[in-house]
Amino acid sequence: MKDSSNNRHALVISKDYPQANFTWILSLALAAIFLWNSLATKSGEMNLFVFALFCAYTLTSIFQLFITRKMKKDLLNTGEIHKTTRRLGYVQLASLLTGNIFAAAFAFNLINKRKTPEYTFAVYMLLTQLAVIAISSVNLFKPYVSDTFLIAMGSLLLIALFHLVALILTVHYVKEYSAPRWMSILAVVLMATAVTGNLFATLLGWSLFMKSRRFDSSRLLKWNVMWEKITRNSTAVLGMFFILLMLTISITSRFTFDYALAVENNYSAILQAPSLVYPFGTDNFGRDVFSRIVFGARISLLVGFASTILPGLIGGFLGAIAGYYSNRIDNWIMRLLDILYSIPGILLAIAIIAAFGANTVNLIIALSVGGIPTHARTMRANVLMVSNYDFVDSAKALGASDFSILFKQVVPNSLAPMIVKSTLTIGGAVIATSSLSYLGLGVEPHIPEWGNILKVGSTYLESNSYLAIFPGLAIILLVLSFNFLGDGLRDALDPKLD
Amino acid sequence: MKKKLLTLALLLVLVLAGCVKTKSEVESEGKEEDGKGGLNEKVQIEVLGMGSGEEDLNIVRDQLIKNGFDVKLNIQPDYGSFSAQKDAGNFDLALSSWTTVTGNPDYAVRALFKSDGANSLVKDSKVDELIDKASTETADEYIKTYKQLEQQLVTEKAFIAPLYNSFKAQGVNKEVLNPDTVRLAKSRAIPWETIDFKDEAKRTTEPLVTQQAIGDLTSLDPIKGNDGSINTLNTNMYVRLVNLTDEDEVVSDGSLSYNYAMAEGNSDYYFLLRDDINFASISNEKAIDTGERVGAEDVVFSLERAKDKDSVPDHRTYSLHERIKSAEIVTDLTELKNAKQSGSEKTILETLEKGLDTKLSGVVESKTKADNSKGNYQVVKVTTTEPFPQVLNYLAHQSAGIVSEKQVKSINTYDVASFNLDKDIAYGDQRTVTEGATYNNHLYASGPYILVKKNDYQADFVKNPGYRTGSEFEPKISNITVRFIDDSDSALSALRNGEIHLFNGVPETKYDLVEADDNLLLQKSDSNAVTYLQFNTAGRKVSESENLRKAVLFSINQDEFLNYYQGNKKKAYSTVSPLVDTGNELVADSDKVKEFLEAYQKE
Repeated sequence: MKDSSNNRHALVISKDYPQANFTWILSLALAAIFLWNSLATKSGEMNLFVFALFCAYTLTSIFQLFITRKMKKDLLNTGEIHKTTRRLGYVQLASLLTGNIFAAAFAFNLINKRKTPEYTFAVYMLLTQLAVIAISSVNLFKPYVSDTFLIAMGSLLLIALFHLVALILTVHYVKEYSAPRWMSILAVVLMATAVTGNLFATLLGWSLFMKSRRFDSSRLLKWNVMWEKITRNSTAVLGMFFILLMLTISITSRFTFDYALAVENNYSAILQAPSLVYPFGTDNFGRDVFSRIVFGARISLLVGFASTILPGLIGGFLGAIAGYYSNRIDNWIMRLLDILYSIPGILLAIAIIAAFGANTVNLIIALSVGGIPTHARTMRANVLMVSNYDFVDSAKALGASDFSILFKQVVPNSLAPMIVKSTLTIGGAVIATSSLSYLGLGVEPHIPEWGNILKVGSTYLESNSYLAIFPGLAIILLVLSFNFLGDGLRDALDPKLD
Repeated sequence: MKKKLLTLALLLVLVLAGCVKTKSEVESEGKEEDGKGGLNEKVQIEVLGMGSGEEDLNIVRDQLIKNGFDVKLNIQPDYGSFSAQKDAGNFDLALSSWTTVTGNPDYAVRALFKSDGANSLVKDSKVDELIDKASTETADEYIKTYKQLEQQLVTEKAFIAPLYNSFKAQGVNKEVLNPDTVRLAKSRAIPWETIDFKDEAKRTTEPLVTQQAIGDLTSLDPIKGNDGSINTLNTNMYVRLVNLTDEDEVVSDGSLSYNYAMAEGNSDYYFLLRDDINFASISNEKAIDTGERVGAEDVVFSLERAKDKDSVPDHRTYSLHERIKSAEIVTDLTELKNAKQSGSEKTILETLEKGLDTKLSGVVESKTKADNSKGNYQVVKVTTTEPFPQVLNYLAHQSAGIVSEKQVKSINTYDVASFNLDKDIAYGDQRTVTEGATYNNHLYASGPYILVKKNDYQADFVKNPGYRTGSEFEPKISNITVRFIDDSDSALSALRNGEIHLFNGVPETKYDLVEADDNLLLQKSDSNAVTYLQFNTAGRKVSESENLRKAVLFSINQDEFLNYYQGNKKKAYSTVSPLVDTGNELVADSDKVKEFLEAYQKE
């Protein structure tokens, strides 16, 4: 009796089991979408390619359901997942071929029983690399590819291969708090491969570097605990995966995609439905929507990050000063910021754009100004709290200057909520960028930007709905990813939730 | 394992490298050696336009860039800010459009290209000369002159770069309306009096709901406005001496005249007036027949004030009527018997009498004495400053609508020179028909309908009870509501869900939606709307260099515009193209672009 209740507890606390459920439900939902799309064509004929995808995804989700059942049985009977069940993960890895990232991520998780943060980094690093290669290789169906395509693709393949090797080495040699010394070389090379934008490689590299160089164990513990908390949250990791995938794509697309296809009009290919040559169809000027969305990620990410970091720095600085120094300074700064806060952000942005013209720099400034007060408030609240701690008093007793106390002791210890807040506001900034472009106030209309693409799509909602669906999905996914990651970061960084 | 994978990957890359083509390979297949080294610096062209013309601007941008220019777009959200930028000269090329609502070629060029034209940026003596020459010629003669004019404007000097000529498209709810009664004319605004419901029993119970984009009405005095906010409304509120058919011929159908005639010398024009139209006014939100007939005195008054710049403050249409020398009532029947019709042996009287049941026994001066059934008619004679046959088109324009002499004089008691918009109320001021404290409807309508009231969302019209009762031109439907819907996509939605019954201005890219709808009928016809690029003629590189202008001109590929609009546009050479078939055509030529650019660089 006691045993079975223990096992029931094992089922509840298992991290793999909920992910298994999440995976089969998601795969089945995707399968349903594919089925609907394969049947609902205008000509009434079945789209065989999409139907094949439906079959593959259905198979995956059935197999996933089978694994899930087996896991439940294992957990209820013995309290842990059997080796044979874990082996099934290798089979499920095949779902990667159909592009089912969720099933693949789950399979990687299942295969390895003891999951270090390095393992998760390595898996997602490889997945990101493969996804980038898959997305870029769609260009092979185009009549021609960009001049740097082959070299870039070759390099990406080699890097992927290297990442695979790194994954295998990580599985074999990395332990909870240590790694072999020679791994520091691997770590440095890994960090170098992050130039593609695949920041998972940086994370893995840094992590390996710390362990192989035998860093202070308390630091390692902190690092491990934090990342374990984040990686335990599978939606947060998926969010991070999508964000880094977009980042990598926006960097590598410089070499693997042809910009002309995204901006030059091609009147012989106007409003074509999605096909292999034009995976997301073409718009009313015959431009490839797929290329446009890929290039659009650049602006969305750039503006999103910049218009979060800028107010984060300015607002953070003002908030820190306001929180640390006298009431009078506090009052002055915060009341002035309150005035700014009382103006609706998007209206302020529209006014700035209307006055100074529409381009990327003005867009960033316009979106940043409205974000300053909220960042200042967050920072001020934290500084008020942290400056009462004992270590601040000790620093004061030791005779450190106010300025050095503020920026060496107080601010670094107040950063966690700022990071969480920033992550959550990036999503808002991405939406604001697209909204302004949609209203014709963002970047020039021919420049690929998700809001611009969506604007064209909105007028063809009935006749060529794909023109609005794909950029809409891209915006939704990116914003959702930032929100998921933000939630994960909050769980990991907020001491109250410990 | 590792080595195997590596070799596999390398093999894959090799195989891939074998079957894909890179961009430069594809491009070098098409051309031989490309002389790109010739131009050291790209010329920047600033293109000004409105948000509504974003598609056209994008195509122009694309074509200019492909021909080696650097393009800066200046997109303004509305017409106000667009004009401000244009007036400030912040452009090389301005995307412009023009619709010749009078249906005659003179109107299509005079204001736009003559040195002293109201909207003209062009100053060229040869252009002026050709415009004046063509205006005095008849339709057969002026083809050659207009052809020369076009060549001077476009090919020789490149003052404009034409883009396309649009169609007119109108969506009709055929479940509610009888589509055969809904006209779609090339130039003129739609006449409402012919429109009928499918179920005739609804004529008095249901309103006809139609749409227009602008709800801020310039003025309901016909001479004080000439724009989209009032063209259709004033056309239906005021009758004119003549009308245009759907194909732009001048006729008397549906007008104040039985017949008209042009006398020998092409300077005198005679109009035989009807006696079955009375002015209507509004009392307690209902239309009443004032009992005052629309007569020759009102015609003379209306035309005299139309041509006189100082008859009202902010007169917007006098330039259309400046060729009218005088308008007078004919009091002597022998004048009609003696005068000959232009280009014919018939007398004016014979022409005017054609098809009448009761022939003329006398012409009377006062409208109260006219009684057509007894043979007493009123005749108006219009004289032009010089032979000018196209005056008839201007008389068919809404600005030549007939207003009541008595009523207008009683309202416009202010002094024109010291007119104060805040204090004085002019006849036709929209404030007098807007719901609220300022409401005080003083309109006298000579046309089939009269405006009762308006607000920001709609205007309500009722039929004139004294307008040709019992004839085929008596208004069929009693009430008409005009909804103000700014955005064409919203208007299309309103049409499709039955909120409005009639929508003029279906966008080209949405024709198939209307055609696919079982309840709707799409009517299409030619129009006189031409879209073109206007070159800046002062203070810019393009203003100085003819070569640069020509390089831009030959970069424009009209076929691509036609492709983009799915064939729902026509080629144009100038604003005259839809009115006169001159045979000119603009052909894009990238070799010529290079040639002219090189010549420009050497300047």
